[in-house]
Amino acid sequence: MGDGTMTPGSSGLAAVSPAGSAIRRQARRRPTLARRIRRDPGAIGMFLALLVISIVMLYPFAFMIINSLRTESQYLNGSGFSTSSWGALFSSLPVGAELLNSTLICAGAIAIILIGSSAAGFAFAKLRYRRQNVVFLGIIGSMMIPVQSIIIPEYVNLANAGLVNNYLSPILVYSALGMPFATFLMTVFFRGLPDELIEAALCDGMGYFGVFWRVAVRMAGPALATVTVLQFIQIWDDLLVALLLLQEPANRTITVGLGVLSSGRAVSIPALMAGSLISAIPAIIVYLFFQRYLVSGLTMGVSR
Amino acid sequence: MATVEIDEVTKVYPNGVEAVQGLTLQVRDGELMVLVGPSGCGKTTVLRMVAGLEEISSGEVLIGGRVVNDVSPKARDIAMVFQNYALYPHMTVAANIGFGLKLRNLPKSEVEAKVLAAARMLGLSQWLDRKPGQLSGGQRQRVAMGRAIVREPKVFLMDEPLSNLDAKLRVQMRAEVSHIQRRLGVTTLYVTHDQTEAMTMGDRVAVLLEGVLQQCAPPQLLYDRPDNVFVAAFIGSPAMNMYEGLMDPDGTSVSLGSQRLQISDDVFHARPALAMYRGKKVVVGIRPEHISAAVSSDGPVLQGDVELVEALGSELLVHFSLDAALAHVPGAAVNGQTEQPAADDVDATTSGWSVARVDASTKIRVHERATFALRPSLQHFFDADTGAAIWDGPP
Repeated sequence: MGDGTMTPGSSGLAAVSPAGSAIRRQARRRPTLARRIRRDPGAIGMFLALLVISIVMLYPFAFMIINSLRTESQYLNGSGFSTSSWGALFSSLPVGAELLNSTLICAGAIAIILIGSSAAGFAFAKLRYRRQNVVFLGIIGSMMIPVQSIIIPEYVNLANAGLVNNYLSPILVYSALGMPFATFLMTVFFRGLPDELIEAALCDGMGYFGVFWRVAVRMAGPALATVTVLQFIQIWDDLLVALLLLQEPANRTITVGLGVLSSGRAVSIPALMAGSLISAIPAIIVYLFFQRYLVSGLTMGVSR
Repeated sequence: MATVEIDEVTKVYPNGVEAVQGLTLQVRDGELMVLVGPSGCGKTTVLRMVAGLEEISSGEVLIGGRVVNDVSPKARDIAMVFQNYALYPHMTVAANIGFGLKLRNLPKSEVEAKVLAAARMLGLSQWLDRKPGQLSGGQRQRVAMGRAIVREPKVFLMDEPLSNLDAKLRVQMRAEVSHIQRRLGVTTLYVTHDQTEAMTMGDRVAVLLEGVLQQCAPPQLLYDRPDNVFVAAFIGSPAMNMYEGLMDPDGTSVSLGSQRLQISDDVFHARPALAMYRGKKVVVGIRPEHISAAVSSDGPVLQGDVELVEALGSELLVHFSLDAALAHVPGAAVNGQTEQPAADDVDATTSGWSVARVDASTKIRVHERATFALRPSLQHFFDADTGAAIWDGPP
């Protein structure tokens, strides 16, 4: 057609002219807040809502950081800064030992949860056996049992086994409490793996354990990261189980230590804030470390 | 290398669905056997039973003369290529190809040498360090082939390995897969729903419908001498036109609606059993490529109203209507015609129109009545009740 005839120099390459690339650069540039609001006035409501939520979320952090850098009197007056509360914290609490205790218990429980839930999740997602759904529903159903309702029988069992004041007792309890949700999450992830991948591995010469270990687990990074972050935060922050099962001061976790600190006759709020800040830092580090996996892990099963 | 024997194999799923019914098939040593049929006909189930990925309800599968019903997939010495390639996304191309060898504890140097040789054969040498996610569909398909080739198995099992590729690449890869299979001489069972793929690749083609083998023969024989209406309609693109007809008592012609189609002596010579159908109903099949615009009234002709003309460049697809009733063809609506999308859109068996494939220079217009000449000896006849082809004796 005559209209489509190209003259020399008027080829499609003309689109790559400096002007063209400038336009593309501009189009790629993220629109400013003002431009977004001009384009969609309704967005202002969303921005305001997000702003309020951000303030609500960040206020405790700001409160914690600011007041950890004050003395008791500065805290009451609301002005001035000092690091003396940090000294008071370290003199009244074995912070290092408690952090180590928390870390050991978290690491032990999470290791058991990861091994157990990934194996169970793979079995629920990729193997077929009788009453599979009933067993799965039973495990999912156990997520609804409140820890408070079983903690006393668990204590009795562990006491009978001579495990009170032993790191193993909170590790086992946390593993049992975390396993159902982790199993659910891993099952959802493994269901998303194509069956053909498993079958290809079987044809390649692997057994089911080999497929699980050398193929499925290697691809489960996002799911394992999600389980790790969620369980870490839950176990690290827990007070009840550790308070009940680790009664010796030398075995206390950081959360129990802070609990003891706040239950004294004279509570130093700045020292408590400093302790809370120290306690929050590991969880923040774990979150930041696994952040890139977390979103894909949390949205598993939304689309295939 | 080895033969694959499928002996009276049946597969019944727990929900009672009988996916494969008493299938008996032999794949010769070094042969490329294509299993073809519409979706849900049981072809993939057969392949999976041979691979050991699906339990066999009854019957036996033998690989190299050994019954493998209870043998695990890894012990069957087979390699399978999947429709979605099933590459390990966390491994590089080289690791994917060499994984099966690594599991067999071959020395690292030997694994590397074999991976390199396979990569060279498949044109993958420059992509060995990439992950599957960084490859195009065609490259991934080659990696999947490489993973199968490198293990030098007794049998290749291929489950629609080209169906995720675009039409152009599919044609190219079709030739490459055939070439590699012939070069290696490995016994191959290849599943596809695409009859063009089946015809071009298979040494023999087994046509399945609803879990039952309809016919197993070399491609040309399937085309020339289909055993029943389903095979006749499934093989060939566009599909064969099928009409309900009534043989005249004298047997010289068959009535198709208000028209009479002469039957030549050649047809009777080729199909002696047709003589027994004098005065009876038959199904008449005429391939679109055996119909042309009539230039004289000699020989059998049909007149029809032209409804649609599709220009394909080298030829025209002329859709025309007759007053003859179209015969019911089982599975016709899912006929796998992939190379002629235009014909897919307006399938003769589903639109109620007949199709003729005529020369591009033919002057033909829509809404005109046209006369079509039929190649005298190339009409097909089937029993109206059973759908079986009428050849030498009673069906």
